[in-house]
Amino acid sequence: MTVLRLRGVTREYPMGDVVVRALRGVDLSLERGELVVLLGPSGSGKSTLLHMLGALDAPTTGQVLWHRDAGAPLDLARADDGTRTRFRRAHVGFVFQFYNLLASLTARENIAVVTEIATDPLDPLDALRLVDLADRADHFPSQLSGGEQQRVAIARAIAKRPALLLCDEPTGALDVKTGKVVLRALRRIHLELGTATVLITHNAAIAAMADRVLRIADGQIVGDTRNAAPADPDTVDW
Amino acid sequence: MAVLDAKLARDLWRTKSQLGAIVLVIACGTGLFLGMRATMRSLEAAQRGYYAAERFGHVFAQATRAPEQVAEHLRRIPGVEAVQTRVIGDVTVDVPEMIEAASARLVSIPDRGEPLVDGYRLRSGRPPDPLRDDEALASEPFAEAHALRLGTRLPVVLDGRRRLLRIVGTALAPEFTYSVPPGALLPDDRRFGILWMRRRALAPAFDLDGAFNDVGLRVAPGASVGAVKAAVDRELARYGGLGAYGRDEQPSHAFLQSELDQLRTFGSVVPMLFLAVAAFLLSIVLGRIVTAQREPIAVLKALGRSDAEIGLHYAKLAGVVVGAGTVVGVLVAVWLGDTMCRLYLDYYRFPELPFRLAPGELWLAIGLTFVAAALGTFGAIRRTVRLEPAAAMRPQSPAVYRPTLIERIGLSGRLPHAVRAILRELERRPGRAAMSILGVAMSTSLVVMSSFVFEAFDLSMQLQFGLERRDAMQLTLAQPRDLGALASLEQLPGVRRAEPVRIVPVRFRSGSAHRNGVLTGLPVDGTLQRVLDADTRVIPIPADGIVLSRRLAWILGVAPGDTVEVDVLDGARPRLQLTIARLAETWVGLSAWVSLEALGRALGEAPTLNVALLDVDAAHRAELHRAAKDTPLVQGVAERSATLVAYRRMVDENLGRSTLINLSFALVLALGVLYNTARVTADERARELASLRVLGFTKGEVATLLLGELALLTALGLPLGLLLGRLSVTAMADNLATDQFRIPDIVAPRTFALAALTVIAATVVAAWAARRRVDRLDLIEVLKAHD
Repeated sequence: MTVLRLRGVTREYPMGDVVVRALRGVDLSLERGELVVLLGPSGSGKSTLLHMLGALDAPTTGQVLWHRDAGAPLDLARADDGTRTRFRRAHVGFVFQFYNLLASLTARENIAVVTEIATDPLDPLDALRLVDLADRADHFPSQLSGGEQQRVAIARAIAKRPALLLCDEPTGALDVKTGKVVLRALRRIHLELGTATVLITHNAAIAAMADRVLRIADGQIVGDTRNAAPADPDTVDW
Repeated sequence: MAVLDAKLARDLWRTKSQLGAIVLVIACGTGLFLGMRATMRSLEAAQRGYYAAERFGHVFAQATRAPEQVAEHLRRIPGVEAVQTRVIGDVTVDVPEMIEAASARLVSIPDRGEPLVDGYRLRSGRPPDPLRDDEALASEPFAEAHALRLGTRLPVVLDGRRRLLRIVGTALAPEFTYSVPPGALLPDDRRFGILWMRRRALAPAFDLDGAFNDVGLRVAPGASVGAVKAAVDRELARYGGLGAYGRDEQPSHAFLQSELDQLRTFGSVVPMLFLAVAAFLLSIVLGRIVTAQREPIAVLKALGRSDAEIGLHYAKLAGVVVGAGTVVGVLVAVWLGDTMCRLYLDYYRFPELPFRLAPGELWLAIGLTFVAAALGTFGAIRRTVRLEPAAAMRPQSPAVYRPTLIERIGLSGRLPHAVRAILRELERRPGRAAMSILGVAMSTSLVVMSSFVFEAFDLSMQLQFGLERRDAMQLTLAQPRDLGALASLEQLPGVRRAEPVRIVPVRFRSGSAHRNGVLTGLPVDGTLQRVLDADTRVIPIPADGIVLSRRLAWILGVAPGDTVEVDVLDGARPRLQLTIARLAETWVGLSAWVSLEALGRALGEAPTLNVALLDVDAAHRAELHRAAKDTPLVQGVAERSATLVAYRRMVDENLGRSTLINLSFALVLALGVLYNTARVTADERARELASLRVLGFTKGEVATLLLGELALLTALGLPLGLLLGRLSVTAMADNLATDQFRIPDIVAPRTFALAALTVIAATVVAAWAARRRVDRLDLIEVLKAHD
């Protein structure tokens, strides 16, 4: 079942006298319950694509169709800021490369801040249990390691039971060992909650754990393959 | 360095509104400090020069009639440099275009030469011809108020006779720098003036040939004024001396001095607070800039720029802001000083009051501003110097927070997360929070303090003219009369009722404390003049015993039930022992009240009156004024409405303006603090806030998080400021109280409301600026950048 579909999406930025074409006609469907790894080198347009999926940015041309539970698909490309905010608020979880936790709130409170405005959220403590951090619930970000902060960020992202989880280089700021812990947490959540997950990275090794691997280069999807047997994150190495 | 300077210019441009707000706060501080100090110095210089040039006295005394030979005795008092005896008397002036009579004080000048003490400054025309007895000099304000031209003949009622005085010139004198009609609070140049005449022309009219009733003395530097006063009292006691007094009790000088004291206090305390706030703002804004530029600083250092170069770079940035603030501040000072000097000239009639900016004051102000700025910027610049390039290239670890005190002691209950986050933010930087709160509090209290003066005047006028005085008109009689005279005054047109009042000059004593003042005899059943206590309740006039004003009781160190000695300085000069029945609250003069009968008994006479209070039918006002002018018994007329009009005019013209000036200073301060706090907080938390936007928070929700902090700062600072303002008012009322005039220590609710509104308005503006920042958050940037 399709969650989100991109049709002929282009994105151009005027940069002085030249026009940068970050995306050049992307067609893509995301299905419920799949874990997608989006692979691409720097400047390939993968971040811009993630912004389109998360309705953080609107395409220059093309459609971003959100397949709602009821009613016709909604084109986020034409939606106003309020609608896009509501979409993110209800249906999208974000994991940032640099965690972006609120330093003045504890782990539990960082999650509660999101669950308070969600309709059917997990209990913050249950969300922390999913990332094995229930015992650090009352710690502030400054008292947590980078990997722990990222796991709190993941718990925060999934606590509202989003339809779509977007992760932007979630292991980019972490060492291999910690990175694996984070990937394991992502994998577990994906299996337990069945959230459609898109993980963007330039680290090809991570692709082994995906259901589906999209390769992007020069603003276009250049590869779309499926893993018959996704690997356990523990066996992935880089 | 050129490249760094280009960076400097861009940094300045990027943070222009925040730095601009700091420039304004500095400008206010420097401007207030320099403006008020320079005004004070200008006033002092004008006062010094004027007093010296016109030989203003050090000791003054009045008597009923002292033979001229006594002057010789006075001259021989050790320490006395010069003595000038004079004849002084009050008369009614029938100014043609005025319905009511004006009053004038006639002051004698020697027949030959200049007065040795208490001279005058000729402003136009010439001195009166000693050979003519109808020439006079008019005080300049009086002449201006009536557009009197030289040669005008002014009808005065002198000793019951109508005479025409020819105005041959205008003049000013130090003793009348601040000149109010007898018993009044504010100058009224239309109704009261000074007329100088030659002694030989004036003396016969008051039956003072070969005698004097006023004397001024100059005392040698270092000699004791107190000893001279005591000696003068001894010499004049036999001649109806009313008690010698020094400059501190000379009404004009005392008023001017209290103005200078006020300037000194206000001009040093308030600007210091401004500069402290400016230093604080510089520290947070520069601190923020330095934090945001960790990477560029690290890169510059990695590329080989020295610590000193980097430090200097940021010092320059602060220097530009402080320099701009100082320049604007000096301009503000010149404008403020010039405005204040002009304003003062309306009340304090100096021959000239040029605003001068002494170089010493200028350098002091600049120095102080830079010291404050250096204190504010030191921390941030030290951080740039100490920054290790390698460390700076790594992202900063999350700021360290902990549960707040409220949470640690278990009081947090179910506080919303936003509130928790805000409380923790404040507790993490208690210094910054405290300074922000203090800044808000200061602006609040500044509004309270500045509009309180306005209110206080209003209130004292309301008390005096609404509750105490209920008469429409007050007639001063040339001589005390028995109560039978009241009947003839009641026959004047339009008079509904008349009540007698007897006022005698006295000296109050208790132990070694003493003070000159007046004792007022009122009828026990009178209603046209009432005496009020601190709660504005009417105090009945006791049949026996005395009611003292609180200030007088405080000076004498006495309380109800105690006995006070009263030396009557009139008639047979009896010494009375009176028991204090109650204390009253008054705002003008040092007063005491007894019953008319008791006063008569004490003076050994039947009850008399020398002032009549009239209840008047307003329809016959003009007729009554005409009749009063033609009644020789009546020496002066004071109309309640005229005083109120004069007061209203002053309020409209000046107090309003100065309150407005103070209000703008307060607004700048509040805006400077709140805007910068909001902006810095918004910048510091931009990444967190943008993350929340990405997570689906609306702009409004994110703004609430940010604005909550601002609201909390205001919520804490505002009541503190109201309290501070209230305390300052009490301190000001205490400090500014003189024997002549006191300010009621009361703050009206609308003053508090105005203060609150001002600060809330500033909060709203700051919130709007912060909200704009939230609206412009770049959601995509947060996904990449690390702060």
